[in-house]
Amino acid sequence: MSLNVDSAAVAFTFKGGMLPMTVMELSSADPERIRQQLAGKLSQSPAFFQHTPVVLSVEKLDEPHLALERICAVCRDHKLLPVAVRGGAEPVRQSAWALGLGWFPPVEEGRPRVLESVNSSPMQEVSREEAPISDVDTQALATRLYRGTVRSGQQVSASEGDLVVIGAVNAGAEVLAAGSIHVYGALRGRALAGIHGNTQAGIYCRELEAELLSVAGNYKRSEDIDAQLLGRPTEVHFTKEQLEIKPLG
Amino acid sequence: MAKIIVVTSGKGGVGKTTSAAAISTGLALRGKKTVVIDFDVGLRNLDLIMGCERRVVYDLVNVIQGEAGLNQALIRDKRVENLFILPASQTRDKDALTQEGVAEILEKLKEDFDYILCDSPAGIERGAQLAMYFADEAIVVTNPEVSSVRDSDRILGLLASKTRRAEQGEDPIKEHLLVTRYNPERVTSGDMLTLDDIREILAINLLGLIPESEAVLRASNQGVPVTHDIASDAGQAYSDTVSRLLGEDMPLRFHEMQRKSLLSRMFGGGRR
Repeated sequence: MSLNVDSAAVAFTFKGGMLPMTVMELSSADPERIRQQLAGKLSQSPAFFQHTPVVLSVEKLDEPHLALERICAVCRDHKLLPVAVRGGAEPVRQSAWALGLGWFPPVEEGRPRVLESVNSSPMQEVSREEAPISDVDTQALATRLYRGTVRSGQQVSASEGDLVVIGAVNAGAEVLAAGSIHVYGALRGRALAGIHGNTQAGIYCRELEAELLSVAGNYKRSEDIDAQLLGRPTEVHFTKEQLEIKPLG
Repeated sequence: MAKIIVVTSGKGGVGKTTSAAAISTGLALRGKKTVVIDFDVGLRNLDLIMGCERRVVYDLVNVIQGEAGLNQALIRDKRVENLFILPASQTRDKDALTQEGVAEILEKLKEDFDYILCDSPAGIERGAQLAMYFADEAIVVTNPEVSSVRDSDRILGLLASKTRRAEQGEDPIKEHLLVTRYNPERVTSGDMLTLDDIREILAINLLGLIPESEAVLRASNQGVPVTHDIASDAGQAYSDTVSRLLGEDMPLRFHEMQRKSLLSRMFGGGRR
């Protein structure tokens, strides 16, 4: 028996969500150069180009007018689906909207800025104010908390943010997170952090006995781990192109 | 209301059937009307351990398929009043079991019995899943070795997800750990996992500890559940286990090398 939820009352509900998103940081506005590079990437990893949604970031370009329509067409030819544009001057924003794309304000010094009022005249100089929202706040919303033992054969994942396990992860179990993994107990199974490629993600545990540790696809097996670290509180990071495992604190 | 208890382990050969026979005998000896069901269709053993193999006419599959009534298939134990055995079929395979059929049999048994023990087959396939599906409590039988502990861990994961209580969002199945074939000498010499190691990994309540004992082998071959051998260490350990299952506080025995240390730490203050 499944629960009968009364869904007739509303047609939809708005929900906040943090979705993994690829940002395509443009360093050239030339559609032909973009096309050439995309063709090369497509042959290297065709699996990535499956109508993958991307945000076109034009922050590094210092051009008020862009051939946005042609750039989007090139992307679509290579099975990338532009869904929004980030940064750029007012004409860029207008053409993004005209193409049915969303527009995000540029990210400066790691802090998002507030979008100015839609009512303000586009021709006026508008001073942007710093938003009191930091990235940390929004990421905290996507953290998944798991209480109890993750047992052999079980898989617990946080597809958007961090995963916190209050309990042990036993041998044969697997924990995954887009962000970092925190295990307040023994980590005896497999732990994969940064599964969407976030190399800043880390793994933290109270007792290291892991079968496998991975950050953004860079992994170490149990037998690659320094035996002196086993059984101790440890942290795992991706630094200098390799996985670094060290005592916590 | 009858309690349905599954005796399970994942791994084979750890002592599920021995434990199911011994515990059901112990419950019946305390006056509880008990039935023990062999779910190991195709590899039936419980009737041998219970010493009733020559009285099997109908079995679980016959009842499910409507070829016999439940009362025709139930075998009354010769030694203890209040104890019945529902044997498995030796000629069919586990596909002959259906969830509806098992549900129907358990519903009928619930009317007459205090305790229904389901002796699970090894593995995590259909037979094992059906044995645990309707359970209220589970006794997870584990040997002090890594593969057995890992398989028990897997079973605990299934108990928390692939059972009626889990699917319907009711209170979770009450899980008990029963450590069998425990040999304190070999634990001390490092050949076996310690009781603390097992408890730390599985993180469930300890119901009992059965020492490795010649009495168990003797009992199996004679078809007399070891609970009847009250002079033996294993018989006493199973008796303690039954007491704890009924809610009594019993000190833990047989887990240390010296037999003298009966006043060892009291059972019950352990982890959850």
